[in-house]
Amino acid sequence: MGASTQSVQLQRQLNELTGYYALPASSRRDPRRDRFRSLAQQWRNETQWLSSTTEVAMNPAYQAIIGMGAEALPMILEDLRQNSGHWFWALKAISNEDPVVPRDRGSIKKMKGAWLQWGQTKGLVRA
Amino acid sequence: MKFQDMTFDQVVSALQPQGFPNLNSTNSRPTSPYDEDYNCIAWAAEDTDYWWWPDAMGQKYWPTEVPREETLAAFVRAYGIQGYIERCDATVEQGKQKIAIYTASNGKPKHAARQIPDGWWASKLGQLIDIEHEFAALDGPAYGTVAVILARPGRNGGSEINP
Repeated sequence: MGASTQSVQLQRQLNELTGYYALPASSRRDPRRDRFRSLAQQWRNETQWLSSTTEVAMNPAYQAIIGMGAEALPMILEDLRQNSGHWFWALKAISNEDPVVPRDRGSIKKMKGAWLQWGQTKGLVRA
Repeated sequence: MKFQDMTFDQVVSALQPQGFPNLNSTNSRPTSPYDEDYNCIAWAAEDTDYWWWPDAMGQKYWPTEVPREETLAAFVRAYGIQGYIERCDATVEQGKQKIAIYTASNGKPKHAARQIPDGWWASKLGQLIDIEHEFAALDGPAYGTVAVILARPGRNGGSEINP
């Protein structure tokens, strides 16, 4: 007796899942993280000589990262911590918050510090 | 390869196809390492602590007295606060400091540069490096062309040109 289409499909999904968890955690690829890394690299490659904050933020790769929503926040904050970068527009757009006091707007070091402090308070990035 | 790890010739080669058709290592020279803390608008105003831009999200520094809008008029007013109020040309004039504002074909500001005593211009390339360059070296799709040049008296009432 042949298996139903549905059971074949379920068996395939189970095999994929078993294979995924058979790998050590450090070897597992997280497609969301891979996508973030790829988009962040594309964004940097396409905007680093630009002065316009608007142009930098309107870059399609940056907008795609904003489109990932709240799940992108830990990845953005980790990238900010490790590589710095003008992530502030995306952080504000996604979180609808802004921990930067008005007098520090434009001071990249102080903005970075304020957002990392915010992320630590929220448990989104390690100290 | 990251821009931070490139030689100046490699930076120039990477930028040329991105809208800098005139830029080469003969008409420009590097003067600083990579630094993301300030941009060309700040560098023209001799500020290396803040990134200047009138973005709608209110993320970057912009003088509070000036409308937060990406127009040539707003940029002219921002530099006016720094004393740059006289419209002029690109010639070197003893006793004057000059800045140039670049706009795209749609009139939106894209870049600014500051004249140095030998007649070349000092520019910060976004988050990348500072360079000095000939007047037209940055013309092209990336930064547009110079729309206006503004002058102010040299500091201490003296010339900005070395005797």
